[in-house]
Amino acid sequence: MAAANRPLLRITGMIKEFPGLRALDDVSLEVHSGEIVAVVGHNGSGKSTLVKILAGVYAKDAGEVEYPSSTAEEETGLHIIHQDLGLAMELNAIENLGIPKYQGLRESLAPAPVKREKAKATELISRFGEPFDVTVPVGSLAPAQRSIIGIARALDGWKHPRNILILDEPTEALHASEVRILFEAIKRLAADGAGIIFISHRLDEVLELADRIVVLRDGKKVADEDREHVDHERLVEFVTGVKAGEAETGRTDRTHGEVVLDIAGLWGEVLDGVDLTVHAGEVVGVAGVLGSGREALPAMVFGSELAAADEFNVAGAAYPKRDPAESIRRGMAFVPGDRGKYGAIRDFTARENITLPAMQNVTNAIFGVDARKEKAVATELVAKYDVRPPRPEQIFKQFSGGNQQKIVFAKWLRNDPTVLLLEEPTQGVDIGAKQALYEAIDAAAAQGAAVVVCSSEAKELVRLCDRVLVLRNGVVAAELSGEELTETRLVLEGYGLADGDDAVDGSEGQQ
Amino acid sequence: MTDGTRAVKGPSVFSRYFSPRNISAVYLFILIFIVFAIWTPQTFLTPGTWANLLDTNSLVVLAAIAVLIPLTTGVFNLAIGAEIALAMMLCITLQIPHEQQSDLFLAVGMPWWMAAIIAVVVATLVGMLSGWVVTKLKIDSFIATLGMSSIIGAITYLISQNKPFAASPEFQQLAATAVPLGGFRLTVPVIVLIIVALAVWYVLERTPVGRRMYAAGFNPDGARLSGVNVARLQWGSLVAGGFIAGVIGVLSASKFGGSVAYGVGMLLPALAAVFLGSTQFKGGRFNVWGTVLALYVLAVGVQGLLLVKVPKEYSNFLYGVALIVAVAVSRWERTGKRTRAIRQATTFTKEGKEKLAAEAAAESDPPQLTPTQTALKQDGIEDQGDDAR
Repeated sequence: MAAANRPLLRITGMIKEFPGLRALDDVSLEVHSGEIVAVVGHNGSGKSTLVKILAGVYAKDAGEVEYPSSTAEEETGLHIIHQDLGLAMELNAIENLGIPKYQGLRESLAPAPVKREKAKATELISRFGEPFDVTVPVGSLAPAQRSIIGIARALDGWKHPRNILILDEPTEALHASEVRILFEAIKRLAADGAGIIFISHRLDEVLELADRIVVLRDGKKVADEDREHVDHERLVEFVTGVKAGEAETGRTDRTHGEVVLDIAGLWGEVLDGVDLTVHAGEVVGVAGVLGSGREALPAMVFGSELAAADEFNVAGAAYPKRDPAESIRRGMAFVPGDRGKYGAIRDFTARENITLPAMQNVTNAIFGVDARKEKAVATELVAKYDVRPPRPEQIFKQFSGGNQQKIVFAKWLRNDPTVLLLEEPTQGVDIGAKQALYEAIDAAAAQGAAVVVCSSEAKELVRLCDRVLVLRNGVVAAELSGEELTETRLVLEGYGLADGDDAVDGSEGQQ
Repeated sequence: MTDGTRAVKGPSVFSRYFSPRNISAVYLFILIFIVFAIWTPQTFLTPGTWANLLDTNSLVVLAAIAVLIPLTTGVFNLAIGAEIALAMMLCITLQIPHEQQSDLFLAVGMPWWMAAIIAVVVATLVGMLSGWVVTKLKIDSFIATLGMSSIIGAITYLISQNKPFAASPEFQQLAATAVPLGGFRLTVPVIVLIIVALAVWYVLERTPVGRRMYAAGFNPDGARLSGVNVARLQWGSLVAGGFIAGVIGVLSASKFGGSVAYGVGMLLPALAAVFLGSTQFKGGRFNVWGTVLALYVLAVGVQGLLLVKVPKEYSNFLYGVALIVAVAVSRWERTGKRTRAIRQATTFTKEGKEKLAAEAAAESDPPQLTPTQTALKQDGIEDQGDDAR
């Protein structure tokens, strides 16, 4: 075979622009037959943009995608397994495998050959180890078995094994033992000659599975190394861009007052008993990978997500049953991560959004809104937080992302909250606005607010926080402050890679 | 604008307010008026036609407001027609002496005012029940109120045995009483309409409650996180709608007597008016004056068709078209704006490239050009060079 040493897939000089952002900047990549290439990076590093371009969701602005070993007899196919597998949960494995087949009217309306389908489904699935029941709804199967159905479906049309398979964050919903089953399946495919691209932000899994590791940061390719040349520490360096030992450390310059938020044993869907104490004027960060409980914590504290707590005190008073309206009355404020869905009313003007949580101080004697007072409040806040354009009557959704977030901040900081809960406060925000938001958080803390920042950005936590709790599998795995609070430590603790404690063993110990 | 942001100069307040996009219904009204004034001037232009139009349709406008209130909080009330029919039949049958209609178990010969109060209370309770089904059982309002509608319809049938009844002369006086105002006679339904419309307008657009209702309708999750009790507002708005439906039922009973089919026919014009009204004045928000305007515009159209001898049954055709067109227009306006914004903000579409080329030609030293921008800028310079030669 002459095509043997040519790569299956070659991407050269890929560029993708979004308004005000280069999501991919001159990225090149090769995948050979039998190789597992891991593409690693933080949120927003360009991983998912790359996948979406290959899938045809986005059009690339520049660059080439070639299949050099593709010939007329052996055409190279490309299949993508997305994070949510696109399976119909109520249907069984046989039916799910049949979804992409039967195109056209005649095939679609012909009776399905049930027996043959079942035999074929079982055969496809048994290629990945112990076969399971293909006649039950896939919703009742284990998540790893669902992943295998997803892969089997992609493989169903393969006429030869030398194709490209892209797995986009396939282990997100899997337990450690199930990850092993999936990895076995992937390794078998590679041994047969497939080229695998494995997209993940779980560094331990990447190190376990990959033959070659490609690291993206801010849309650029910063590393393309064989597995044996990379260890934990180097990989973290590549991902964060910070060399171990010369990083910034956490804040120690703030003075703290009394305890404002005091929670013992917070339980919820993903939280497994978390203690959280925040003093007035203190900024406490919450870190952890997706699924660790980091993203659920602020909503549970605020009361918009169900959670139970052994003890829950706000400003010295017990607060056992929480809901958003009562939380606001008690001086809490919550800037959620998804500002379009939860943080604001997109069809309202900036003014209407700013006054919504506390309208009682812009009303007049006849229970109406005092239009002049409201406008004055909104105009002042829009100027204070440097919203551009400074027009309180503009519809919220017509502002840029950074300015939208400034409006959400203005809305919550208007009443000087005693507890300020922030979830991904600078997600999708440009550098200038980011700086303004950091200053607003600093100012709120200086005024005596107890601040909780939940963020996936280690750099942000180091910049903002006095102390950071690192969550792993719903519990506090580490608490870092002062000299110890560095980007590298945060990432290592988040993945459970610190000081030789192996992540996979660690997470198995949790179960 | 004090800082460096670009000041976008919009059209003046005057031209924005009178643009067809803001008050298209007014232009539609003028068009309809001209067409029928030319077609059938001897009947269309008489004052009697207009006074009658105002009075007859006031009850439908009230029904539209009863639909509008829950819709601002994101809840459909498809049971409005059934609620009106129930209140209407209750009000009439309760007044009938038992000896007259012995097969009706509710014929107890009550005085009209007592029957009216009971009818309004029952309609309000029905709204409360709808609210409970929607907010506590958490059933989609479309399904819930459709179901309620058919349950209420069956009950209405039961209490009236599907017979039509005439209102007593004393009771007829309720809706026929009028206050003369200039050349017009303001009948009780018109006065009730004016009071209800003003009250609902004040609550929706001038109070915190109204602001929270709109917030709940636009984005229930976001509103909840801002401390808005979405479920309570939705429930309350269905109760208010039920109360208004009760009042409409009593007034229509006085005006037309009792007929099971009457109230149900109000749903379609009411919905059409509310959605057409949302495209007026407030750019996409359901609002009272838009609704009132839209309904009367549609009613004038229907009236004109009646005058040129088009059978009454075809009026639903007009309402159906108006409903679909109104929703299509507001959707198109929303998504159209977004699509345009995306096209203009990105650099690789045709519009974006043209915009960049224009900017590159205008600015002398723009910071950090992308390759596309650089290429376009060079083009611009070359063009200028050609001009110089």
